[in-house]
Amino acid sequence: MKRGSKLGFAVVLVATLGALAAGCVASQGGGAAGSAAQKVYVKPGEKDAYYAFLSGGHHGNIYVYGMPSCRHITTIPVFTPEPAVGYGNDEESKAMLGGFTWGDAHHPGLSETDGDYDGRWLFINDMPNARIARIDLKDFKTKQIFGPIPNISAAHACPFPTPNTEYVFAASRFSVPVPNRDVKVEDYAKDFRGIVAGVKVDPKTGTMSLGFEIMMPPFDWDLSDAGKGPSLGWQFFTCYNSEMAYDSLEIKASQNEMDYFAAVDWRAAQKAVDEGKATMINGAPVLDPAKVKGIAYLIPVPKSPHGVDVDPSGQYVCCSGKLQAEVSVYSFAKIKAAIDAAKFEGEKMGVPTLKFEDCLEAKVPVGLGPLHTQFDNKGNGYTSLFLDSQIAKWKVGPPWNVEDKIDVYYSIGHLMASEGDTRHPTGDYVVALDKLSKDRYLNVGPTHPEAAQLIDLRGPKMELLYDFPTYLEPHYAQMIKAEKLHPITVYPLAENDKPGVIKRAEDARVERKGNRVDVYGLVVRTHFTPDVIKVNEGDEVYFHWTNLEQDDDIAHGFGILWSSKNMQIEPGETKTIHWTADKTGIRPFYCSNFCSALHQEMQGYLEVRPRGTPQAAVQRPDAKTIAEINALLAAR
Amino acid sequence: MSYLSGKFRPTERGLILFAAVVLLPVFFLPVFPIWHMHLRAPQYPEGLNLHIYTNTIRGDVDKINTLNHYVGMHAITATDFKEFSYMPQLLTLFGVLALLAGLTGRRWLALVGWLAFTGFAAYMFRDYVLWLYRYGHDLNPRAAIKLQVFTPPVIGFSKMANFKVWSYPGLGTWLLGIAWALGPIALLAERYGRRRAAAGAAVTGAAKA
Repeated sequence: MKRGSKLGFAVVLVATLGALAAGCVASQGGGAAGSAAQKVYVKPGEKDAYYAFLSGGHHGNIYVYGMPSCRHITTIPVFTPEPAVGYGNDEESKAMLGGFTWGDAHHPGLSETDGDYDGRWLFINDMPNARIARIDLKDFKTKQIFGPIPNISAAHACPFPTPNTEYVFAASRFSVPVPNRDVKVEDYAKDFRGIVAGVKVDPKTGTMSLGFEIMMPPFDWDLSDAGKGPSLGWQFFTCYNSEMAYDSLEIKASQNEMDYFAAVDWRAAQKAVDEGKATMINGAPVLDPAKVKGIAYLIPVPKSPHGVDVDPSGQYVCCSGKLQAEVSVYSFAKIKAAIDAAKFEGEKMGVPTLKFEDCLEAKVPVGLGPLHTQFDNKGNGYTSLFLDSQIAKWKVGPPWNVEDKIDVYYSIGHLMASEGDTRHPTGDYVVALDKLSKDRYLNVGPTHPEAAQLIDLRGPKMELLYDFPTYLEPHYAQMIKAEKLHPITVYPLAENDKPGVIKRAEDARVERKGNRVDVYGLVVRTHFTPDVIKVNEGDEVYFHWTNLEQDDDIAHGFGILWSSKNMQIEPGETKTIHWTADKTGIRPFYCSNFCSALHQEMQGYLEVRPRGTPQAAVQRPDAKTIAEINALLAAR
Repeated sequence: MSYLSGKFRPTERGLILFAAVVLLPVFFLPVFPIWHMHLRAPQYPEGLNLHIYTNTIRGDVDKINTLNHYVGMHAITATDFKEFSYMPQLLTLFGVLALLAGLTGRRWLALVGWLAFTGFAAYMFRDYVLWLYRYGHDLNPRAAIKLQVFTPPVIGFSKMANFKVWSYPGLGTWLLGIAWALGPIALLAERYGRRRAAAGAAVTGAAKA
């Protein structure tokens, strides 16, 4: 009897505790257990689950964040010189920048295989100069800057890779005459043209080359996305200003009830170019849809659309009319049927236009100022609402209803769901990328940072986890599972065959030909070899430094006093920097990247003698120095 | 004398042949490390490793050399060790001796082989200690950091500057140790077997009586 009552008490106690625990979890609203703080906390020494690549906007680079901790890990210089690592200062990256010191980077595009991120490359556009950069995710370095792409004026709808990274694209946001020439702005409709360019990507090396261009009506081509699954082979581009205004666009370009999105059959376009149907303009093969049929079509979209986003299945194309409160969802099957039946309502400068009703599948009343849509793994779309400062979650498919909304701070532009533009979104997080931060962070004066919020998608309701500032100015961003990337930590010295590389102290030397001086040197903890270099005023000096280190994180710097010459040399890397010996006198140089216990001692002197001072054709370090360095390097 | 010129029974021959199996492949396939050194410092939470094989040194040799130059230690290079040019050959030669002894069963051959192997092992261990002593004592007087001379640990743990160092035998040494131990085991097995046979005979005799 006694025993029975004790047991009964225990059962009641356990049941009560269980109910309490369940209540705790339920009160947080999210699906995964734990408070918001616990969900973003990544313990010291532990790593994030996702890499997030945020475009740097008019900073011209890419910010790399870890998610869910929202920690800024690094910045990849892309279109803008970066003095710490010497990007744009060493000869190779200087040549790659091609004289530009500014870019406006909007849309990162991770390379894909079968419509999912494969972790090989990251593409990003420079809108104003119509360039596309490729970053190798093996070392997070910019490897190619392609462009300026001829005839393209402001590559905003760019690069948006195809599902197997066959192509990246660019389209003109601000139409100009093609070819650009002496015309009157008033002759806009007659002389100006938009351009859509397909840029081929080499499947092995990632090297970009121009595939085709298509002459389009002079609308403002805005955003893009690649078809996948049933819509594979098609690329979609939204436009506004079908009114073809060249001034007061704010008013004049907002008059038409409908603008368009274009569907481009890139395989047909490439085939037409390969068959010689293009006209060469400024070195680019340009197709005229009035002459070459079957490469592009226009589908009406209400109210100056911005984002175009293809759902994970590839069946639906979601366009956001920024001046209405709806996302217009189009069925690709319907678009295809209309094209196949040649059911056109007219044409715009040779591009056939389809009927709105023939293509539309649904209108989703998401809220005010819809801009972009991302997706999860449970059949939901998430649309950013600029005017409402919200994200709307809605059902992709009948009944096409809005299921949830969450406030963001403030005026959201793009949003980034975890792998949320692929065939298989992971459905873990979405990040709001806001245009205004206003009062959210410590006041740093009138130049406010941008703002971002991490939101949990795992529960039935969206849950705000974290709010963090970013520097100017992320537009689009992408989030990839960390396990898909396997970056190297040092450059294998054995594979270094860069021009100017040396690997032994005996080969360290200063060579002179006329007034060109080449310094072939080594950097290793903790000295430059050679560290005394004799040149004459007026010499053009090229320093080729090889970092012999093979240890993680032992980068050395090379900075020359009273100059803008500085660069970082990573373990196993060879870099060349050019400096003009501008003034007679002694010019110290030093390791500008803290490397080790005797970093302060890592320095050298340039002895700059007056013009015409006799100098040896080849200077080498003395035998003792060579022996000392070699003792250190003997194992290599 | 007649004991030495005698032959082992199949059991002992089997044990000796097993030792031959361990030793013979060393020259052709020196795949197992014989000694390890594991170093850790605050900046190297993942640790640095030296793996010594019968014919070379592998692991983070370059990284360790770069660090060692601060204290003036000689660079560790495989070419400095003449041992690497004969150690695998000799171990395989001991394997050949064990094979012959196992096949013929000749006690003297097994004993000579085992004694030579024992002497060689002792010599190599002493040689290894000497190398460690030299690395820690023959320091460049011009080095940036002046250290008290030292001997890195032969086996076990020690602390050197900001590094913690563990030193321990590798799988190769364990296998060699087993091969070596099979010598005494064979002798013990034989003695035990003989005693049992004698006891068996005594029991049979008693029963007959």
